Amino acid sequence: MSTLLQASDWTYFIGRFHPVLVHLPIGFLLVAALLEIGKRIGKISVSDSSISFILFWSAIGATMACIAGYLLSLGGGYDEELLSDHQWQGIGVAVFAWIAWLFKSGKISIGTAIYLPALGLSTILTFTAGHDGGSLTHGDGYLTQYTPEPFRSLAGIPPRTEEKTEIKPITDINQAVVYNDIVQPILEMRCVQCHNANKQKGGLRMDNMVMLLKGGEDGPIFVSGKALESAMIKRCLLPENDDNHMPPKGKPQLSEAQITLLSWWIEQGASADKKVSDLKISEQVKPALASLTSGSGGENAKSADSPVLSLQVPVPNEKALEAIKKAGLLVLPISHDKNLLEVSAVNASAFGDQQINLFSPLSEQIIWLKLGGTKVTDTSVKELSKLKNLNKLHLEYTAVTDAGLSLLKDLQYLEYINLVGTKVTDAGLKNIASSKSLKNIYIWKSAVTENGVAEVQKLHPDLHIVNGFNEAKVAEFLKAGDTLKQAEISKTK
Amino acid sequence: MEKLLKELQHANLHSQTRRHFLQSAGFGLGALGLGSLLGSCGNSNTETSATAEAMGAKIPQFAPKAKRVIYIHMAGAPSQLELFDYKPELEKYHGKDCPAEFLEGKKFAFIQGVPKMLGPQGKFNQYGQSGAWMSDYIPYLQTVADEITFIKAMHTDQFNHAPAQLLLHTGSARLGRPSLGAWSVYGLGSENQNLPGFIVLASGGRQPDAGKSVYGSGFLPSVYQGVQCRTGGDPVLYVTDPNGMNRNMRKQTIEAINEINKQTYDDVKDPEILTRISQYEMAFRMQMSVPEVMDVSKEPQFILDMYGVKPGEGTFAMNCLLARKLIENDVRFVQLFDWGWDGHGTTAGDNIEGGLRNKCRLSDKPVAALIQDLKMRGLLEETLIIWGAEFGRTPMQENRNGVVMPYMGRDHHLEAFTMWMAGGGVKKGYTHGETDELGYYGVKDRVHVHDLQATILHLMGFDHEKFTYPFQGRNFRLTDTEGKVVKNIIA
Repeated sequence: MSTLLQASDWTYFIGRFHPVLVHLPIGFLLVAALLEIGKRIGKISVSDSSISFILFWSAIGATMACIAGYLLSLGGGYDEELLSDHQWQGIGVAVFAWIAWLFKSGKISIGTAIYLPALGLSTILTFTAGHDGGSLTHGDGYLTQYTPEPFRSLAGIPPRTEEKTEIKPITDINQAVVYNDIVQPILEMRCVQCHNANKQKGGLRMDNMVMLLKGGEDGPIFVSGKALESAMIKRCLLPENDDNHMPPKGKPQLSEAQITLLSWWIEQGASADKKVSDLKISEQVKPALASLTSGSGGENAKSADSPVLSLQVPVPNEKALEAIKKAGLLVLPISHDKNLLEVSAVNASAFGDQQINLFSPLSEQIIWLKLGGTKVTDTSVKELSKLKNLNKLHLEYTAVTDAGLSLLKDLQYLEYINLVGTKVTDAGLKNIASSKSLKNIYIWKSAVTENGVAEVQKLHPDLHIVNGFNEAKVAEFLKAGDTLKQAEISKTK
Repeated sequence: MEKLLKELQHANLHSQTRRHFLQSAGFGLGALGLGSLLGSCGNSNTETSATAEAMGAKIPQFAPKAKRVIYIHMAGAPSQLELFDYKPELEKYHGKDCPAEFLEGKKFAFIQGVPKMLGPQGKFNQYGQSGAWMSDYIPYLQTVADEITFIKAMHTDQFNHAPAQLLLHTGSARLGRPSLGAWSVYGLGSENQNLPGFIVLASGGRQPDAGKSVYGSGFLPSVYQGVQCRTGGDPVLYVTDPNGMNRNMRKQTIEAINEINKQTYDDVKDPEILTRISQYEMAFRMQMSVPEVMDVSKEPQFILDMYGVKPGEGTFAMNCLLARKLIENDVRFVQLFDWGWDGHGTTAGDNIEGGLRNKCRLSDKPVAALIQDLKMRGLLEETLIIWGAEFGRTPMQENRNGVVMPYMGRDHHLEAFTMWMAGGGVKKGYTHGETDELGYYGVKDRVHVHDLQATILHLMGFDHEKFTYPFQGRNFRLTDTEGKVVKNIIA
């Protein structure tokens, strides 16, 4: 686009008034057209001079909008074709508005038949120009993006693929492709509105990897491996009121976690197809990555939640739930937004092996299970091993032994197991400790020995094996108070 | 005559409609009260399933990290400057006049004129892998430093005990709001059908200054208020059968009363009648369960030693042990109050050298024991322990009425104080926030009591902004219009 005027602050200052001014002729012209129709079908009485007056101001408004619009376009970054359409339609509105006024006001009295077509054309052009203007600002398809069915199919609009206002929750973060599943969705949310096929602010498109690599009019926007030297990151980190800050002041901003993720991707080589598990995950990135799995970066973002919580399971069978309740157990979804279940036998200490089949229809849903102090034995544990998503299991003070325990080590989400007061021995501990998911295991008052704990701990240093106090350990604990006694003695001295 | 009859008929119809309207409105209100309560514990065949539902376990908004809470409130407010918030710089200013910037435009409960600064009286050191600062006042807590998240820059709006306690527990310094415990059982119900979901145990010889309102149910149905148990003697008065009355007879009496109450409820639909019915039922079940759970005589000696408890005494240590037993029985919210931490320095009992040391001696061991005990039973992971008071103490020595006190003491301080949490989804061995070098203001990561409440609710699975109850034409929440979840302390 040729630059006729030297772009100055004044150019942009006036140009930015285009969206304000543009609504004047739209409104005025519509009023003029409606009055003309109303008058002609005899519904209202309105003088020609009134309509002429309105038309005059329509033409003035349209002309001013055209001038401001031209100045705005000098800033560049718009789809040329669309811009050209918009421009000529806008000029058309102004020209036909002037023509309509000239006839209506009686300045020209020959060929009055042209008046109606001129007014009509001018009005129609406000619609088309307005629509193109909207597309320039908000992107193509903005207007109809949320068209509901069945109108969507009727109008031949393809089904809506993806929400662009939120990052889609990721079920298995490790398998997520960093660019496709994390980076591009962030760009879609925050950048693409101004950097797309139709509108290329700074000559930059961010709607796909190829264009992203190409960069803008100042060249590439990131240096692979060096996040802090990348313009893309630098601009995000500038203070919001800095002229070079992106996204521009007033637009939705990137969250801290989102900047962290983008930086991390660039830092790790800005690959197009590597998965999260292929890259090095620093402590700093962990919470940001974790926020993706919960589906929102908001206040409810959970920092280090168990992967089991992101499982999508079917709605539990109503009859199976009723049967469990009838046996005196508590059974509830772990939260309102999930089908995962928590089951507790706190009010049913008589619960035993013969009832364990009650859980079978809910083998996917039950993740937290409290059977402490019940009559279950290894027979039950065999059934429990079929609850494949089991995450926390209370078996304290039950007759469970090493044999039963060994059946649980392949449960891939099991993180917590309470074996306090059971007959489990060192061998049983060693066996279950080989579970890949297990994090905390409680063996106080079981048959596990101190040596057994030490040995298993050596093999699995990350596993928390929690033993408890006995007489000797309590005596040791009580020694902490000796400093108090000493303090007292020194005081009395 | 005919006209008169018509008039009568009309009036009759009129009153009927009005009555019907009132009735259905009453039911509507009841339904509102119970409307959001979902799930039940299977008592659906009893006549009062509505009450069972009201108290039965319920579903949180999102997966909780803390299933249960023990809130230890040190009523009166211990000095953070003697226990956790180590300020070597304050030592240098000991005995010097307080800088004017600390006093201008500030109001204190007792300090007048220009007080002197008071240096830290405890001997501080760092403990655990995390290097948490603690003083020699609390040697036992030092041993569990790595289980704890300290919040060093707490602040509140109130500098008098009762309003500050109300603000902390109910979100408002004025009476009438439900307490944190009441909100918890309103939202999550109670898992153990034989025990109340919200139990209160008090020690130290006095109730908290704000009275029962700090564990009240406010505008929530009164079924959610805290049930206070005595710690010495019968845990609940009249829980044992009186002479000449056997269990069966009592059961029949309660059933008869509930039958009448049920009829009244059918007539007037006042949800408070349901509360009454459920309290009778609960009381009967508690006759069995409470003596059992509150009986510490079956605890092994080394456990009693660990807490420093002798069966039969009603001490803070006993309350800690009982708290563990209640949590072990899946009680949702256990509130401990311990009175006597108000160290102004006016008498030999309320000063730093004697009073605070003595309170620490009575409470330090049982609190550390409680953390250890819950941990080894595998209960700490899901139980959130909160320790703290309604405010903190000033870095200045109190000078009540402008005169120097006979003992060392500090005035109430709302700008900065320390609280700590352990278990239930908070970080282990972590310190959040910082105060200035004299411990007067929070300078980094300040946490208001509303933020604390928002965080506790968050850990229990509730978005504090969406966890509301409609009352007097608007939705109320614990944090009212404030509160931000302190995400940094969440594990």
